Amino acid sequence: MSLVAEAFVSQIAAAEPWPENATLYQQLKGEQILVSDNAASLAVQAFLQMCNLPIKVVCRANAEYMSPSGKVPFIHVGNQVVSELGPIVQFVKAKGHSLSDGLDEVQKAEMKAYMELVNNMLLTAELYLQWCDEATVGEVLEDVDQCCQALSQRLGTQPYFFNKQPTELDALVFGHLYTILTTQLTNDELSEKVKNYSNLLAFCRRIEQHYFEDRGKGSSSIKSS
Amino acid sequence: MAAPLELSCWGGGWGLPSVHSESLVVMAYAKFSGAPLKVNVIDKTWRGSRGDVPILTTEDNIVSQPAKILNFLRKQKYNADYELSAKQGADTLAYIALIEEKLLPAVLHTFWVESDNYFSVTKPWFASRIPFPLSLILPGRISKGALNRILLTRGEPPLYHLREVEAQIYRDAKECLNLLSNRLGTSQFFFGDTPSTLDAYVFGFLAPLYKVRFPKVQLQEHLKQLSNLCRFCDDILNSYFRLSLGAFSCMNRNQQQIDLGEVHSHDSTT
Repeated sequence: MSLVAEAFVSQIAAAEPWPENATLYQQLKGEQILVSDNAASLAVQAFLQMCNLPIKVVCRANAEYMSPSGKVPFIHVGNQVVSELGPIVQFVKAKGHSLSDGLDEVQKAEMKAYMELVNNMLLTAELYLQWCDEATVGEVLEDVDQCCQALSQRLGTQPYFFNKQPTELDALVFGHLYTILTTQLTNDELSEKVKNYSNLLAFCRRIEQHYFEDRGKGSSSIKSS
Repeated sequence: MAAPLELSCWGGGWGLPSVHSESLVVMAYAKFSGAPLKVNVIDKTWRGSRGDVPILTTEDNIVSQPAKILNFLRKQKYNADYELSAKQGADTLAYIALIEEKLLPAVLHTFWVESDNYFSVTKPWFASRIPFPLSLILPGRISKGALNRILLTRGEPPLYHLREVEAQIYRDAKECLNLLSNRLGTSQFFFGDTPSTLDAYVFGFLAPLYKVRFPKVQLQEHLKQLSNLCRFCDDILNSYFRLSLGAFSCMNRNQQQIDLGEVHSHDSTT
């Protein structure tokens, strides 16, 4: 978003509380949705659940074309439409909800750095999976392993990355790891890499149970497959 | 005695041993880890590919790209990170990702895309170190490459106009600088008292931005307000790159090490 547009959206966002009928649009599951888009959608859903903001998930074949930026997922809240995790986090913040307010400046810096790491490495791996560039498979797997190792170290024995409370980093990591673990692919090597890290597996399970199963939401996109 | 390590890289100016970020990252890492590098500054007579610079050459190997060069040096036991905990190692990866995604586009723009800067400073500097007729072609190619890289990572809808992309990348870069400044605080280095890989990367990307004199300076001005980052760069320049005539010889480096009472982890000695 341009700076002016963003300031404008924030002002309007602040004006109204979160409505009951907020909707998230993504592509159809199964054949249509890409691995990377699925991860992005899951991350946003996890984030909203963590903020305790109700969201209804709707799958549409033309979701990409409905989106203002061409990117999925996007949310339709009141009369505003916002796409991608970053802008959605800002939008939600303008409405007075934040997961990272309790963090000090150093922790906020760390959080942003780790989010970039995830975007850099896991997203690349997912894109590779989709488009299957044979030449780089070794490098991609190594990057994924390095990224998972870093995440595993950072998480340690804590329930979330910044101890007791989840932040947008937890949502993003969950979105990507869960997608990698549960998507049926011809190549299992990617999910095997993630499975090497037991605390990351436990982390995914914990978020799935706490924010998706327990809520009894109708979001049928989250099923343990 | 280990085979000599030679680093071919772009040269210096404005008080820096190199004006090129990636070359600077490797040079700083070598200083921090005690790797004895023979530095060959590229000039018109150099015959290798300039696109791959910095390049590390040993008897049996040719390594390019900073990450790969640093990995290679670590395998040779020149390890600046041996005191780091596993978590600090993880943080290093994360912060490097942050720098590459959020800071690098604006640095590229400042040097290679912003017209006033490119035509009055960057292009003449590089062209004078490239032989004719490549000097007429290569800088332009690097400039286009920089623009492509910026647009590739940022120029997606709804940012259709270059001016909007520019606004976004500078905003991201300023935020990244703020984050780095917050993280560094009053410490000497990012992880305690000894410099590590992350310090090499931050120094490599920040120092040229800090020191090179450009006409269009918005990112520079922002950096100069973050005094702890400026102090960080100056400290490293003074401690590790005290320039003397015929600098960067092994002798000079060892002298500096002894003066500063540093301890390095590598097994081999020169």
